[in-house]
Amino acid sequence: MINLAKEDIRHTLGKFIVTAMGVGMLLGIVLIMMGVYRGMMADAETLLNDLNVDLWIVQEDTLGPFAESSRVHEDLKYSLKSMQSVDKSEAVTFQNMQLPFENKKISVMAIGFDVYGDISPVNPARLIDGRGLKTDHYEIVATDKIGFKLQDKVTLGRNVYTVVGLTHDSVSSSGDPLVYISLKDAQELQFSYSNKEILNDRARGIINKDAHMANAIIATTKAGYAVEGVAEEIRKWQHKSVYTREQQKVVLTKNVVEKASKQIGMFTAILIAVATIIIALIIYTMTLEKMKEISIMKLMGLPNGMIVKMIVEETLLLGVLAFVFGNIFSHLIDDKFPKRIVLEISDAWILFGIVVIASILASFIGVKKVINADPTAAIGG
Amino acid sequence: MSELAIKVENLYKHFGKGDSFVDVIQDASFSINKGELVALVAPSGAGKTTLLLMIGCVENPSSGAIWLGDEKVYEDKWLTRETRKIRREKIGFIFQSHYLIPFLNIIDNLTLLPQANGVSDKAAKAKARELLKYFEISDKEKAMPSQLSGGQNQRVAIARALANNPQIILADEPTAALDAQRSVDVVKMLKKIAREQDVAVVMVTHDDRMLPYCDRVMKIDNKTIIFE
Repeated sequence: MINLAKEDIRHTLGKFIVTAMGVGMLLGIVLIMMGVYRGMMADAETLLNDLNVDLWIVQEDTLGPFAESSRVHEDLKYSLKSMQSVDKSEAVTFQNMQLPFENKKISVMAIGFDVYGDISPVNPARLIDGRGLKTDHYEIVATDKIGFKLQDKVTLGRNVYTVVGLTHDSVSSSGDPLVYISLKDAQELQFSYSNKEILNDRARGIINKDAHMANAIIATTKAGYAVEGVAEEIRKWQHKSVYTREQQKVVLTKNVVEKASKQIGMFTAILIAVATIIIALIIYTMTLEKMKEISIMKLMGLPNGMIVKMIVEETLLLGVLAFVFGNIFSHLIDDKFPKRIVLEISDAWILFGIVVIASILASFIGVKKVINADPTAAIGG
Repeated sequence: MSELAIKVENLYKHFGKGDSFVDVIQDASFSINKGELVALVAPSGAGKTTLLLMIGCVENPSSGAIWLGDEKVYEDKWLTRETRKIRREKIGFIFQSHYLIPFLNIIDNLTLLPQANGVSDKAAKAKARELLKYFEISDKEKAMPSQLSGGQNQRVAIARALANNPQIILADEPTAALDAQRSVDVVKMLKKIAREQDVAVVMVTHDDRMLPYCDRVMKIDNKTIIFE
């Protein structure tokens, strides 16, 4: 049996492929948008996963440093360590800063941690060159995305730091590159003021007591203790807000990136609708171009089913081909974006399902045209 | 088996109602036998194409009766819902222009309708090759219509009309786009087909020079059918 769709496509193969590539680019952008969303979610969880702690202890009545300002005393970690249920606890700081690099400023998030402590945010799996921090002062580990090389010198505040290690794919919840410095350096950068300001403050009777503050204390629990129970105990006795790892994840994903992800979701939905309309218009135009032939086929007695099959098959093939081109396109450009794009196979399959449904919907307009085609239009020249 | 290919009795066709009522065909009764080439002539707008379309089960008559072969297909209404099936199985159409499907090669153009009738690919191709040989264009079976000359395409179009072994061929001004010599060739070919394939050919034409080659001339005169 002759496959009309196959023959028609073969006849106009170049045009069909170029059209599919055009729609494919649109679908590729849909995939990229999905990838941006996935990237945001992955970025939001990167630090959380790297730290791999059970509890986040932050300033009372705050959501913690990822969502709002939080200050706790560094020595809280000792109080927590003394609890029977707590295995490890360390103070950490998080500070957004502009890092000078080649005459420009790069927005980064600096994480301060106790170099000699029990918990390190530097995931060894991400360390691609050099080493982690070994001393309390003037060493920095930076993510490779910034462009630093080992032994590069970076001026932060009043001091010059040496790049001792490079990590890969280390980003903050907002997608900014991460740098790691010692807790002492971080406290100095975040909480210490210039000499003149300190003098000024002293003249006003203000004494800087913030030098030993941190933004959060992170802790792990001993085996056999329920994390939520330990969290409740700390809330009760230390007057702090405490979040489990899952709760912190919610803070990051819901409170921090929710709006952005909704925005991307809206763009994705609009793009899918646009792609459907474009496929429908292309199929309608392709059908219009064949109206004379369709009238002849109907006049000769060809059943509607055969002609409708041609339209539906062409639409589906256009959709599938566009989907393939979209995937190729998105994988070609995903690493050109400044922020992380995570292209997941599951998202591609979801889009494939949407494309198939959209193609069937889009073919209706062409099918309607076929069913209403007047066979007498073939008569009379 | 009757030799009758087309029989029409008391056929009427009008369009519109009230002030816009137009009578096109009144009380038409005629019959055409297999093997006959009948020319249908009339001034423009007289209803030639309408009559052709009614015989071809495309246009609804207003009243009357139509037989195609032994089968009565119309009596004040279509006697089957599958008028398209009747066209597919019993009628071959030839148009002013060849109107071959541009995205199908010549052999696929010829096998499309038989295959829609359930004929196997092998049998349809065998018949198509036989027809291409008959029309002396065997070497063109893989060519696309755009690669053939106008005359060759018109021969393919005639071959297509025969591919489903029809009882009737309805030709709507098949020589309109051809020069005088090619027109004569086509009409002679239609006559030969009528004889050799034993089909009734009804050919609408404006060209009086073609009439001597036809067996009968059917005219629409003042909405009624007369034979010369």
